[in-house]
Amino acid sequence: MTWILGLGTLFLFAILIGHLLLALVLIIPTWRICTRAGFSGAVSLFHLVPLIGSFIVMAVLAFSTWPNGEASPGRR
Amino acid sequence: MGVEIAALMGFFGLTGAFAVVGTVLAAWMAWRIVEKAGLPGWTGLGAILLTLTGVGTIVPLILLWVFAFMRWPRDEPAAAGFAAPTGGGPAPSSPPRALAAPPMKLADRRGWQLAGGAISLTLDGSLPAYVVTGAPAAQAGDLSVPDPSVGQPHARFLIAGGRLGLEDLGSPGGTFIDGARLLPEHGPRDISAARAIRFGSVELVLSRT
Repeated sequence: MTWILGLGTLFLFAILIGHLLLALVLIIPTWRICTRAGFSGAVSLFHLVPLIGSFIVMAVLAFSTWPNGEASPGRR
Repeated sequence: MGVEIAALMGFFGLTGAFAVVGTVLAAWMAWRIVEKAGLPGWTGLGAILLTLTGVGTIVPLILLWVFAFMRWPRDEPAAAGFAAPTGGGPAPSSPPRALAAPPMKLADRRGWQLAGGAISLTLDGSLPAYVVTGAPAAQAGDLSVPDPSVGQPHARFLIAGGRLGLEDLGSPGGTFIDGARLLPEHGPRDISAARAIRFGSVELVLSRT
């Protein structure tokens, strides 16, 4: 019985590590995008939230006015 | 058995619906984000839609890294006719730079006026540059905007070939052209066709005299 619990713990631990690694791969570029846009890089830490984290970061970048300025419509 | 199959089908139908809605939402937001950086919106849309293809999420992930570290068109100086900045940072005390000849001179040689509230600034074009400052005007070419949010100096107007340029001198209050922030690293921008200029919290309307 104990080995099942141990296996389950190992499985959950592996999922957690995998999630953190995947989040890190997303956080690094998103941190830079956020700072270039004028937001705090910490906004990119929403990637740590499972399922909806990436949507929150994208929504902030997509629907907020960038403090560091946006491309004028003529340049798009 | 039929009930189990129906429940399973419903479950996959629900998750499928969520996947479709999520993909459409992500594609729409990606379109808006890359547009704000100055890239065509379809590049963001395409990056998200790539997740639906056989290349999975690897290619969109690579594109995300490329987007984060590439040079954005937004940051390129769009100074038509105005000299590009030479230094790395703002130089508030440096003299006005010489202006390169604009590619196309405007025939309209009227002056410019900035007005808003009790403030009215006139740029008659007799000088090549005017400095906006929160301090009282000390010399010819100084445009005083007495407000705590306006730096000393704050920004510089450049006139060449009938065109009007504006560059931010690094004031914390910020300079905005029609709502878009102008940073010192942007250099001088052609604002001949702009309507509203904001220095700190002072909003001014640009017009011809």
